[in-house]
Amino acid sequence: MLTRFLEAIREGMSRPLQYYQDICVRCGACIDACHFYAVSRDPVHIPAYRMMLVKKLMQSGSSGNGTLLDWYRESREIGGRVVSELQRAMWECTGCRRCAVFCPFDLDTGLLVSVGRFSLLQEGLGPEMIAEIGNAEVSKGEIIESIKEFYLDQVKALEERLQNEFAPGLQIPVEKEGARVLYVPLVGEHNIIPAAKAFHAAGEDWTLSLFTATNHSFFVGDIAKAKRAAHWIVEEAHRLGVKAIVYSECGHGIRTLLHYFDEWFGEEVAGLERASVVQLVASYLAERKIRLRPGSFDTPLTYHDPCNLGRNGGIYEEPRMLIRAVAREFRELNPNRALNWCCGGGGGLIAAPEMQEVRMQAGQPKVEQIRRTGAQWVVTACENCKTQLTDLNAHYEMGIEVKGVVDLIANALIL
Amino acid sequence: MEPVAFLLYYITPYIALAVLLGGTAYRLYQWRQKKPVSVHLSLFPRPQTRWGRLLDTLVDMFTLRGLWQVNKPLWAGGFIMHLGLLILLLGHVRVFTDYYFLWELLRWGEEQQTQFSHVAGTIAGLLFMVPLFYLLVRRWSSAVKWISTPEDFLLLFLLLGTAVTGNHMRFLLEVESHEVRRFLQGLVFFRWQPVPASAGGSFIYHFAFVQLLMICFPFSKLSHTIGAVLSKMVARS
Repeated sequence: MLTRFLEAIREGMSRPLQYYQDICVRCGACIDACHFYAVSRDPVHIPAYRMMLVKKLMQSGSSGNGTLLDWYRESREIGGRVVSELQRAMWECTGCRRCAVFCPFDLDTGLLVSVGRFSLLQEGLGPEMIAEIGNAEVSKGEIIESIKEFYLDQVKALEERLQNEFAPGLQIPVEKEGARVLYVPLVGEHNIIPAAKAFHAAGEDWTLSLFTATNHSFFVGDIAKAKRAAHWIVEEAHRLGVKAIVYSECGHGIRTLLHYFDEWFGEEVAGLERASVVQLVASYLAERKIRLRPGSFDTPLTYHDPCNLGRNGGIYEEPRMLIRAVAREFRELNPNRALNWCCGGGGGLIAAPEMQEVRMQAGQPKVEQIRRTGAQWVVTACENCKTQLTDLNAHYEMGIEVKGVVDLIANALIL
Repeated sequence: MEPVAFLLYYITPYIALAVLLGGTAYRLYQWRQKKPVSVHLSLFPRPQTRWGRLLDTLVDMFTLRGLWQVNKPLWAGGFIMHLGLLILLLGHVRVFTDYYFLWELLRWGEEQQTQFSHVAGTIAGLLFMVPLFYLLVRRWSSAVKWISTPEDFLLLFLLLGTAVTGNHMRFLLEVESHEVRRFLQGLVFFRWQPVPASAGGSFIYHFAFVQLLMICFPFSKLSHTIGAVLSKMVARS
């Protein structure tokens, strides 16, 4: 049992992970960091426990039973209970890395979980759906020609609708060679409309990608596949000769774009600017390329820092600047920025139906945090967070509305 | 002299030192053997420049700033214990050599030196020992018990043993520092000298606990002394 898991995790034991395993002093600072533990009080959710569990399993493979060394190392017999604990330790985590901020050594449980998930999948243990979507993203590039026509029709229809509703001159170019910006959306028009409006207002020379920013292979720690899925976008950028790749409001997508692309693709992306749409729109405002009606919204609202934009991406101020430009009553969550509570839906959990109940529980600290502000709108910049917050809203009857940052801006533009 | 005492005074110190140095080198080699993670694992906000990041790491290390933000009692326990340990380690340099330049600079005579070392040693001894009791009690409390292992208790036991025997010599005995210095210098130069008689019975326990800690260092979480810096640099890469 767990042979393939152990093999894969030994293979995946990188230098930082080895540091983590050797130096964690189990001080317990991380106990208060985890939203899963805050609700469940289940030791398996303590980040240090997750680390210990893997360490004990790795060590028990190399020694016999009942020796003093086994007692000292608390070697775990590999059986049903351990497998269940391991599954929960690796899958009931959103990879938000709040615990890494709490840790005096900055130990990154997110990295452990990423490698652990990949290793568990080698054993066939875990929500299959997430990996399945990841596979679809990898193969999408191969079948793109066959779906292109349908996609173009859909975009054309959307373009016509926006020309009627918003501005006659608005365009949604696809496959436009020589455009400056390649905008990579998510599935669904809700993700294209606000950006198209903002681009139109700013006079941006842009083109819509045939692909999406999501990368579910990244959630399950399958970095080889994650690279292949992301490479379709790099290829598209080169084919069209764009200057910049801009990702929509997608947390993990933005994290890969800003912090992994350099290592994944090296020279290939060296000349390409990379940014999230929130950063791009913030730069429009700073450079006065767009004008906004100040105080467009009276409703008290708050901003939720998505973990992949905030502590994992360093994008703290741009969304706040945009929100302040249009809102009359902006209330900060407490804590916020690097110490913000995770929404409870990250790490791909949204895509796994069997995780629904778990993620509603894990969202409790977030729910309380939002309630304390009294805000009626929760603005954020990550699709995962938006879906989770919308689900939490229904589940806990919060009476809030969830909005995107660019969404907010698009409704306050002066043309 | 009892055979065990003889071993602990004159033989095992060399073994302990060899294990400490060799084991630490081995640990570093093992870490080096692992493949680095090529992607950024940065936590934000982080300083922009390389020097900024190094400085940030050092400030974080010496102040435990992050812990202060999220858990003040734990910060107090961890910070005060380490501060006491640092002062004690600096003080223990005097059992091998002395801060001659410092005494000259301050124009302090022998009496002032002894007085100063007495006060500083007493304070540091308490700063080191009291938080250790807190950290031990904490291990049985609430959620920390789920993540406490035999290793944690062993190391706390060794550290507390070292602290209690050390403080016993400091508080209750009049140890002649030159006797201790003569003994340890004898070990260093392989010209064995008699055991410091003024240090009484606590000395052998103190000496043994320290040797055990030296042996444990490379193979336990004590290696965070080195590993924490490396890990913190990863989070700022």
